Amino acid sequence: MNAASPHLDTFSYDDAIVRKFLWATFIWGLVGMLVGLVIALQLANPWFNFDISWLSFGRLRPLHTNAVIFAFAGNAIFTGAYYSTQRLLKTRMFSDRLSSFHFWGWQAIIVAAAITLPLGFTQAKEYAELEWPIDIAIAVVWVAFAINFFGTIARRRERHIYVAIWFYIASIITVAILHIFNNLSVPAGFLKSYPIYAGVQDAFMQWWYGHNAVAFFLTTPFLGLMYYFLPKAADRPVFSYKLSILHFWTIVFLYIWAGPHHLHYTALPDWASTLGMLFSVMLWMPSWGGMINGLLTLRGAWNKVAEEPVLKFFVVAITAYGMSTFEGPMLSVKSVNSLAHYTDWIIAHVHTGALGWNGLLTFGMIYWLAPRLFQAPLHSKKLAELHFWIASFGILLYVAAIYSAGITQGLMWRAFDETGRLAYPDFVETVMKLMPMYWVRVAGGTLYIIGMLVFGYNILMTWRARPKTYDVPQVSAPRLAKAYVDPHPVPAGGGLWARFSGADWHRRWERLPLLFSVMVVVAVVVASLAEIIPTFLIRSNVPTIASVKPYTPLELAGRDLYIREGCFNCHSQMVRPLRHETERFGEYSKPGEFVYDHPFLWGSRRIGPDLARVGGKFPDLWHVRHFDEPKAVVPNSIMPTYGHLGRNALDFDGIQRKIDAMAMLGVPYGEALTQAPAMAREQARTMAEAIRASGGPDGLGDREVIALIAYMQKLGRDIRTAAPVATGARP
Amino acid sequence: MKLSDVMGASGLSMYAIVALVLFVAAFVAVVLLTFAPGAAARHKRAAELPLEDDANGSASRTAE
Repeated sequence: MNAASPHLDTFSYDDAIVRKFLWATFIWGLVGMLVGLVIALQLANPWFNFDISWLSFGRLRPLHTNAVIFAFAGNAIFTGAYYSTQRLLKTRMFSDRLSSFHFWGWQAIIVAAAITLPLGFTQAKEYAELEWPIDIAIAVVWVAFAINFFGTIARRRERHIYVAIWFYIASIITVAILHIFNNLSVPAGFLKSYPIYAGVQDAFMQWWYGHNAVAFFLTTPFLGLMYYFLPKAADRPVFSYKLSILHFWTIVFLYIWAGPHHLHYTALPDWASTLGMLFSVMLWMPSWGGMINGLLTLRGAWNKVAEEPVLKFFVVAITAYGMSTFEGPMLSVKSVNSLAHYTDWIIAHVHTGALGWNGLLTFGMIYWLAPRLFQAPLHSKKLAELHFWIASFGILLYVAAIYSAGITQGLMWRAFDETGRLAYPDFVETVMKLMPMYWVRVAGGTLYIIGMLVFGYNILMTWRARPKTYDVPQVSAPRLAKAYVDPHPVPAGGGLWARFSGADWHRRWERLPLLFSVMVVVAVVVASLAEIIPTFLIRSNVPTIASVKPYTPLELAGRDLYIREGCFNCHSQMVRPLRHETERFGEYSKPGEFVYDHPFLWGSRRIGPDLARVGGKFPDLWHVRHFDEPKAVVPNSIMPTYGHLGRNALDFDGIQRKIDAMAMLGVPYGEALTQAPAMAREQARTMAEAIRASGGPDGLGDREVIALIAYMQKLGRDIRTAAPVATGARP
Repeated sequence: MKLSDVMGASGLSMYAIVALVLFVAAFVAVVLLTFAPGAAARHKRAAELPLEDDANGSASRTAE
């Protein structure tokens, strides 16, 4: 078509918004990684908690994960998606205003997270910690993004929708569904809420979300970026478009089922966990298909990898994708999982993915984008090379050390001596063993951050060389004809197969983004419903235990302190039915024990021992001393001090609101519905007197610590009458 | 009577199988299409899309 065509439109791309997202990616990435370094130091030496409540590990760990996932990776996705979508669809974004709203809204949410998480406002669900007002803001901003994105598709000047866009569509839709359903909760005040689900159901919902956050936030959007930026950088089309189609559909069909592998050997029904394992193992295939598709795109261009840092970053990123997607299915096999679960192995696994796949792909993309966006040559290719090597070496150090730490600790936990007793009965002994590895991690992480600074400097210098005003090239493209004329018409006649394989209907699908999106929704929702609904609605899945009673008002207040301090980041409350666990902690956990747990607090990592059976194991006074100075009772403990709990006054009057919210969720409270503060005061007074009588400090009756101790002492006690705790458990 | 009692007694397990069959059928259809005889030409053109956007949008295309 020539320029004289009556339908030729002239327009420009909005690169200003891409530049904004690019800077946000760098700034939040640096912040998130620095917080990561702080918490790595805290594990190597608890001195780095500084005895300040809002800098303690339990409060900062969610800040680290949220910052690197939603702020760093999130802004990186938006950078690449805004750049590539406009060009692939040959149109400007639907609305510059919506783009701008999306940008500023997202940054405001990140700031809100950075303030509320250290202050202890959390829903206690991993990667969904943010409280309800922020959740609503996320939903609003996400919908604005979706409108902008689908509006752009509707105005496109390219009939075919390239596979990268499919990945973006799937991500946008699925993240919206996941976010909304996992965050359904009943507010109990501004910045406090309880999820509508309890115990097993809440756990199921959370890991359906948690796993798919990895899938649809850290995998599919980045695959979209890979399918666009890799061909650009290599200057050749993707190895196999066929394979990319299969990659897409297989991932959309399979990923959504895989969540339960996070809950092997927990109180989750066995069928659900087996289903999760099966689908996770199947995921290995499309993931490697995608990896191979990426690597083979460089066929005949490997010489370019030697001289082009962008391609170096891409190659190692895709390799890391391959490694972590091989490891993921392996870890989801129950027997492997029984060793790896609750250990640092999982931390190593996610960092292969995050530092390798997400990080390096982002860096490669930005090195490619910067000269184009800032319209000046990249400041220094040498520095980019240096960044590549520092970052790669940093990843190696981090991952190798933490793998070893995970496997070491897992093996120590399950080791028995020749007399059939636990070889390492003292939990802290298994933690001490990891210290050298924790310092190597600090070194690896520091290298990665130094690389990040080199990267920032390079981009900054490139930006400084920008022209006075950016050149905004005018692009022209023919408008889409109203009626579609197939360039490869299906020949008339022929049998059913010819008509099917002519695939007119499928080509129509690909052209119709709405229908396409509906298909994605159907795939995601049907899978989710088939897997989740049974646990919600079929009673036999969660047998009730008559002796399990709701938390008293004081215990409930204590539970909320446990949540506020982020105790679940280091302590699980889930004894698996494995011999070494019942030996170490006590009777294994049953689904019926958690029916009043809004939210569930099973945890995913044991940096400290499991607490499901801690009730009654130690006297109240032990807990008082332990919270004040853990090392006073456990000499090698790496737990932060919680002296502030003994100083802060407990908000007794606020407890009524908590009880009311719980009652709304169906927790059977009687007297507590009107008397909660008085009941809590009475229980606190009795406990405080007993502590004083046993030689402890005076005046704890109105302090926060008393509520937390009440909660500790409740854990695991309800079933003790029903099922005796296994003997042999040692403190 | 709770909703869970109703659901538990209503024998819905058949629906899981129906969903599975539909799922597999849809997936098989996608696979067949991907390898269908006419697909190669379309795929080749689609795979070129990222490479043609730098130049003028109309550069390498003909009207549809």
